[in-house]
Amino acid sequence: MRKKKGTRNELSRKQKMIAGVLVLAVVLVMALPMWNVIVVATSDKLSASQSGVKLWWDSFSLEGFSYVFTVTKLLRPFLNSLFVTTIATVIQVVLSAFAGYVLIQKDLPFRAAITSFVMLTMMIPGDLTLISVYQLNKQLHLLNSYTGLIANGLISGFSILLMRNYFGTVPYSMAEAARLDGAGEIRIFAKIFLPVSLPGLATVFFMEYVGKWNSIMLPATLVTDQNKYTLPLMLKAMIQSDSSTSGTSIAPENAVMAAIVISTLPLLLIYIFAQKYLLEGMNLGAEKG
Amino acid sequence: MYKKIKRYRGIYLMLVPVVLYFLIFSYYPLLLGVVNSLQKVKLLGGSTFVGLKNYQEVFNSAVYQRALRNTLVVGTGTFLLQFVWGLMIALLLNEVKNKLARSFIQTVTYIPYLLSWAVVGGIWITIFSPTGMINGILKLFADGPSQPVVFLSEPSYARAIMIFTGAWKGAGYFAALFLAAIVSLDESFYESAQIDGATRWQQIVRITLPQIVPTMKVVTVLSAMSLLRNFDQIFVMGNASINDRVQNLLVRIYNDGILEFNVGTATAAATMVLMITMVISFGVRKLLRYDEAYD
Repeated sequence: MRKKKGTRNELSRKQKMIAGVLVLAVVLVMALPMWNVIVVATSDKLSASQSGVKLWWDSFSLEGFSYVFTVTKLLRPFLNSLFVTTIATVIQVVLSAFAGYVLIQKDLPFRAAITSFVMLTMMIPGDLTLISVYQLNKQLHLLNSYTGLIANGLISGFSILLMRNYFGTVPYSMAEAARLDGAGEIRIFAKIFLPVSLPGLATVFFMEYVGKWNSIMLPATLVTDQNKYTLPLMLKAMIQSDSSTSGTSIAPENAVMAAIVISTLPLLLIYIFAQKYLLEGMNLGAEKG
Repeated sequence: MYKKIKRYRGIYLMLVPVVLYFLIFSYYPLLLGVVNSLQKVKLLGGSTFVGLKNYQEVFNSAVYQRALRNTLVVGTGTFLLQFVWGLMIALLLNEVKNKLARSFIQTVTYIPYLLSWAVVGGIWITIFSPTGMINGILKLFADGPSQPVVFLSEPSYARAIMIFTGAWKGAGYFAALFLAAIVSLDESFYESAQIDGATRWQQIVRITLPQIVPTMKVVTVLSAMSLLRNFDQIFVMGNASINDRVQNLLVRIYNDGILEFNVGTATAAATMVLMITMVISFGVRKLLRYDEAYD
């Protein structure tokens, strides 16, 4: 990081050793639990259920994975999650881009009112109106439906503001010039603003994808039908067997860990290929507060 | 004016879905919640206006008081531990020169933040289970046969476990925020400090830490605003034997309203949490002069 690496600009030997020990401790505390998941997920039922520190394989086996697909029928919740999350995120990106574009129109009548209307929604988090959200969905017959899972929490004020900020970096005079040339609004939006704001779209997409994929509270409120279970609900059902109290669980431990691995995979893929956008979104989120 | 509105017809059309969405899924539930919180819903349909009685009931309810206490204790504890842990990771990462090691550590610390509580809860429930890693480690150090500890049904460990696992999940997030601030600091501070003979450690204490105070404030404000809104963790990791120690407001509201159909008290409680959250975020912003720090 620093340009000059004189002897002075380093920690002393003793401090370096302490730092090294701390780094090691951090890595162990963070990584061991995850490593444990991988080992148990790929062990056979017997060694997975034995007590002890499971950080290496006694007997490698993929039976946990076949269990979750044949007995637990995890494929259905997995596909449910994939379907609901993907559709909802795509719609959210499109609508947020639309709304964000509206908010940068300089002399649009009622622009300030519209902006407040959007920003105020950020003060009403869905988790604090949960009971009413449940009633609303009952009234609309959206309980236990894919539409309900997609529609609730579909758009956030934050993603709209994020898109607005991206569009704001495009010189507005370009839009005005195009307008004078007789280009339609959709055309101006698609040809001038969208291409420049692709990173913004990606940021919203990946951030919201992770958020929706992980969502527990809404599905837990809206869905009781097992056929509509999303992955987090299914996982919760698997681990909330009384494993924490009596040590007997419905699904064997290697199956539970296999299910965890499976529900983590899409997030790992996103982290590997779209890390940049996740970190960007996170920092923007912190700035906006 | 009319002409102007007409000119922007296309633009307004682009906004229609979002406005409809917010009206139906954001503003209407808010209104419905406030209305319901003032009513007693009868089992056979129909409801009567009861004024602030539901609020009174929540206020005097021992269960809700306990839930508030649990929320505050676990929330504050998690924040403090996560803050120190995250700061430590960021400062350490800044000293790691090897690029590969650096990105490995960053990945390992950040991944838990990406995972859902269903996953993180599953990981730690397993680790704390009678056959899990913690009991395994204890067994290594025990002489003779020992009885495994059922950590997650032990009320005296419950809060500590929630605080620890919460911080475990979130430390990498704080670390990433701190690190972003650290690497964007002006090099010249460090250069002149070196000329003045400051050691690396002095530079960290005297330059790095004071310079990232604005980020620390942001992190604090963000956490304060979501302090009362923890749900997922306790929803997944809580159980009957430790509920007294960890069940928080949102889980209590969920149980009250969704599982036990007490719409009146549940919405009253939710409305109170909503208002308190607004007051907290406003107050903390003022207190930390957050707006000055950013923009």
